[in-house]
Amino acid sequence: MAIKVSYVVKESVGNLRRNLLMTAAALITVTISLALAGASLLFRNGIDNAYIQFKNGFDITVMMKADASQEQIDGIGTELRSNPQIDQKAKKPRFVSKEESFAEIQRMFQNAPETLSAFRGVQDAPAQWRFKPVDAEQLEILGQRFEKRAGVLSVSYAKSAKLIRSVAQRIQLIVLCVAGALLLSAVILILNTVRMAIFARRREVAVMKLVGATNGFIRLPFMVEGLLQGLLGGVAGFGLVAIGTKFAQSSLRHSNVPIARTIAVSSTQLFSTGIFMLIVGALVGALGSAVAVSRFLDV
Amino acid sequence: MIRLENVSKVYKNKTTALRSVSTEIAKGEFVFLVGSSGSGKSTFMKLLLKEEVPSEGGIWVAGKNMAEIPNHKVPFLRRNIGCIFQDFKLLPNKSVYDNVAFALEVIGRPKSVITTQVPQILDLVGLTKKAGNLPTELSGGEQQRVSIARAFVNRPLILLADEPTGNLDPNTSVGIMRLLDRINKTGTTVLMATHDQGIVNSMRRRVIELDRGSLVRDQARGVYGTLD
Repeated sequence: MAIKVSYVVKESVGNLRRNLLMTAAALITVTISLALAGASLLFRNGIDNAYIQFKNGFDITVMMKADASQEQIDGIGTELRSNPQIDQKAKKPRFVSKEESFAEIQRMFQNAPETLSAFRGVQDAPAQWRFKPVDAEQLEILGQRFEKRAGVLSVSYAKSAKLIRSVAQRIQLIVLCVAGALLLSAVILILNTVRMAIFARRREVAVMKLVGATNGFIRLPFMVEGLLQGLLGGVAGFGLVAIGTKFAQSSLRHSNVPIARTIAVSSTQLFSTGIFMLIVGALVGALGSAVAVSRFLDV
Repeated sequence: MIRLENVSKVYKNKTTALRSVSTEIAKGEFVFLVGSSGSGKSTFMKLLLKEEVPSEGGIWVAGKNMAEIPNHKVPFLRRNIGCIFQDFKLLPNKSVYDNVAFALEVIGRPKSVITTQVPQILDLVGLTKKAGNLPTELSGGEQQRVSIARAFVNRPLILLADEPTGNLDPNTSVGIMRLLDRINKTGTTVLMATHDQGIVNSMRRRVIELDRGSLVRDQARGVYGTLD
């Protein structure tokens, strides 16, 4: 026997409307928990992307302005190569040309065309010097020496990138725990709305059983109700995250902290986070309604 | 149509509801099931719907061994059995028409079937004019007619009636019994559990009496009271 789609939609939407307050509570909880989880995952992605420039073990990057002259660039290079406080053996100061820099930028922002479009081409990419101090204590002193030089755009430190990264990881852990607890309460809230819907319709359920409606037919609207709550929460949560990401990206791009400017997420990462949130939302809804249906609907 | 062989039912709390009951009800029969409260009448009915399963013995309904019907097929068994109750079990927020149509809707009957069969059955029970009313706007007798219409709209082979006149005055009860009689004449087997002596004595149909779970009397054209 085919179950009519219109019947299921009518019944489950009707149930949701009847318990508007409970539905709203469940929806908001799913939305917030999924938004937190999604945002923390994306933040992590962004930090990882920013970390690319320090992957090879250099500690300091001096970025030259795009319009820096060859003399300015060479001058800094000469100074770095003759400084005994700077590692000249294992990690000799390394020059990153505009071409190399642009290739790296393209890799970093391959899926964030918005950020990438700020660079018209190789001519806008900053040439860079990367080096490592002999004594880690000298890091800031060495770095600061170059900050005010003519032609220098900014100096960024792997140490600060590492710091941001470890702080971000800790924040992520906390946020994910909170999100997990909220997801659990979302399951319980959905369970409760479905249970109330079952209770409100117990006479109808009794009559349905009496006249021989199949168990699947009786259960389906309640299952769909829970699933809808979870999915809607996922969609709303993703909307929040997408808007938040847009704002965060644009404010980070104009940040004074050099490392922050390189924090960006690709649209692929945003998209896959969205899929993840929808799947978790659907799972939460299905779990809540499944428990409610099996425990409170005796068919 | 209905056959019980040495059926016993002991509930989890050790109450014995039926003791080795054997009987057979043929297609088209009208049977009264009598006995005092707690004699096992309700258990008898529940076993036929597979709301309960017997502790011992076998039950056949419409040629099928109930023990062999898997749980997911039970709804299809129930489509062959109409049920009416003392408390009507109507949905208070649906009109008379919708209460009857609901029974067809939830077993997936197409709309065309619903729009032809519901008016027919409402005509049979004499409620065409009240089709748009809510159950609360009807008298007890009318409400029981709605529940009979709902039970019979799917043309079941068997109609189980559990004290259908228990809440009605004698005159109204006579009307309900006439209706059940008419339904029986269409070939539907009717099994009615009742305490109503007047009805049993005036109808003179087959009477099965239960006493503390045992079948103590099975009499064609019987009366309510025991003969001793």
